[in-house]
Amino acid sequence: MARKLIINPLTRISGFAEIEVTIENNKIAEAMTKGFLFRGFEKILKGRPPLDAIYLTQRICGICSAAHSMGSTLALEDALNIIPPEQGRYLRDFLHGCEFLQNHIRHFYQYTVPDFVRLPEVSTIYSKKNGDYRLPEKVNKRISGNYFASLEYSRQAHEMLAVLGGKAPHNHGIFINGITTQPAADKIIKIKSILNKIKEFIENKMIPDVYCLAEYYSDCLGMGESYGNFLSYGCFDNYSDLGSLYVEPNVYSNGQKVKLNPDKITENIDYSWYDNGPSTYKPFETVPEADREKSRAYSWVKAPRYMGLPFEVGPLARLWLTGEYRRGISAMDRTIARVLEARKITAIMVKLLENIMPDISVQQEYTVPLAAQGSGLVDTTRGALGHWLKIENKVLSFYQIITPTVWNFSSRDSDFRGVAEKALIGTPIENKDNPVEIGRILRSFDPCISCATHIYIPGHEVRTIQIV
Amino acid sequence: MKISECPVNKLGVSAAQKLIDRVVAEARKGRLKKRNLVWLEATGCSGNIISLLNGSNPDFRYFIRDMVNLVYNNSLMASEGEAAFEHLVRVSTADFILAVEGAVATKDKGLYNVIGNWKGKPVTAIDAVRWLGERAAHVIAVGACATHGGPSAAKPNPSQSVSVQSVLKRKVIKLPGCPCHPDWFLGTLAHLLLYGQPLLDEFDRPLMFYGTLIHDLCPRRSFFEKGIFAEKLGEKTCMFKLGCRGPVTRVDCPVRQWNDYVNWPIGDDTPCIGCAQFGFPDAMEPFISYDIT
Repeated sequence: MARKLIINPLTRISGFAEIEVTIENNKIAEAMTKGFLFRGFEKILKGRPPLDAIYLTQRICGICSAAHSMGSTLALEDALNIIPPEQGRYLRDFLHGCEFLQNHIRHFYQYTVPDFVRLPEVSTIYSKKNGDYRLPEKVNKRISGNYFASLEYSRQAHEMLAVLGGKAPHNHGIFINGITTQPAADKIIKIKSILNKIKEFIENKMIPDVYCLAEYYSDCLGMGESYGNFLSYGCFDNYSDLGSLYVEPNVYSNGQKVKLNPDKITENIDYSWYDNGPSTYKPFETVPEADREKSRAYSWVKAPRYMGLPFEVGPLARLWLTGEYRRGISAMDRTIARVLEARKITAIMVKLLENIMPDISVQQEYTVPLAAQGSGLVDTTRGALGHWLKIENKVLSFYQIITPTVWNFSSRDSDFRGVAEKALIGTPIENKDNPVEIGRILRSFDPCISCATHIYIPGHEVRTIQIV
Repeated sequence: MKISECPVNKLGVSAAQKLIDRVVAEARKGRLKKRNLVWLEATGCSGNIISLLNGSNPDFRYFIRDMVNLVYNNSLMASEGEAAFEHLVRVSTADFILAVEGAVATKDKGLYNVIGNWKGKPVTAIDAVRWLGERAAHVIAVGACATHGGPSAAKPNPSQSVSVQSVLKRKVIKLPGCPCHPDWFLGTLAHLLLYGQPLLDEFDRPLMFYGTLIHDLCPRRSFFEKGIFAEKLGEKTCMFKLGCRGPVTRVDCPVRQWNDYVNWPIGDDTPCIGCAQFGFPDAMEPFISYDIT
């Protein structure tokens, strides 16, 4: 009746993971998402000079490194009691915006498009034995052409980041009080010019392309539904003069939108490879020890919860919370939301640029306190990112990080499956030898892990099926 | 009449085209031989493949069309699961160059980093690096984690990560950097394709990129000589007293610069944190210090 299949590596995502799924009656009946990479950054940060966290935490992720410089900077400002000047916030939020554009363009064209579009086999990496390709030749040619054309624009998004941030990935610009350097007129006009080109590409190519995929793969608008719980820590919001340009810290559940209360965030480790301490805790309380041998655990990814419930984070969550996109909750809706958000981000960046004053210097000398603690919560490309740190004797004594992918790809707890697990359950699988649905759903979250899928038949010998 | 319609010209164009085709064909089988490349992501952040996508002239398109046949890369390949892994199995008996980004996690038999699954068994980063590393024509360690453990092996090194060289008994070309600059990789690769192994220093870094200290090429060197030092970030003078690692870091950032050659960390009014030097990050801390007198 059912059988096991493995997708590992699930390519075109960042990092390593495995998904275990049971299929019954041609539907996914059970699913487990498993993180398969552990480096222990929270342990690594302990004992280090606090300000170094801004550059070191970026090394968690190559595609969203600026996000971690944002999280750690906000946490340090909180700990050091520093309120950054508005000009500083505009500048660093602009740099953060560059990363959104880089990430969304690459995630759409390089990671998502190959699920729907046959790429020219200029290299072995584009060869795929069989896929579910439905686009007419002309449309296929157009979008696969944009796969390559897009490379110039994602690259230029990083170029903008480097103009004010030194380099990318792993920038030097985002720092306490804003950014490190001053925006001189030659730099402002350079990024304006680049931003304009990227904006045109998104409007004229990327948005038509995503709607085209939605038209020919309309079944993807009906698969991958999550709990309908959305959470955001807010981003590009709460400026003293400009107000909110995007999304405020809010949560949406049971059809109700309410203000986020960070005190209601917990993490659970019942089913992840950690031990030694309570199974549920608040971010400031503890960082559990790794234990790869723990029975019933199946993942390195912990289970963050809000009021005990799993929440989805990311572009769809944000646009849902602002009310700008509420067509539905599905794999394709997530992808459409990501592309629409790219356009929204360019508009925000244009606005920020209009308000940036040239040659403003926001840096000063900082004194690290003997003891302090701080949290930095901000929405980043993939969703809500939190950094929680404590300082003792002028060094970091504690560091907790909950990334967006941990929200979306969480392991289960005693009551609930993780968001991506929930999104897989119940999905009809058209062709068991080629279950394209699984990859399409998982990639719609833009996960920062790579995955594999096992499907079990109770009582049957486990069999590996090749998946393409 | 359009130029292309002129019969004489048409003949000329086609003759020229034939010549070009022949040159290209000769070049392809001769000097610029397109070779198989496997780009393995191991214990790290996958920031080096993202950095490679930032390359310009050669850009990524030229790289995969004209320089190599990219056989395997987790971030970009169309296939997934065993079909993706099959590409690795097939190329393992052919001629190929191996690039590895990320360190090699060794704790609990490597289970801290499983990169794939083959015939129902997990394949760890160690398994893959050993298996392919022993068979490749050349091995290039790309970025800090691959060259010496880097941030993945930062103390207390919870995943017991080690460099690619630590698990291979053969020459590994090392391109430290966090991330590796696209030119450092593409230039090294071009040298391998055109002329064989580039000239390396005693630590197996290509001299064409890693031959000179940042400090010796730094545009702010005159401030250092005159004793004019920045006291906070954002200043335009020498970053030495804020903790700049330019004096111990051998690489060409000051002249090459990053992301279409527009800027670099010191140009951003911050100290170099020594990300392209062995020992990064532990040996380079504190990155920024206001206490150095």
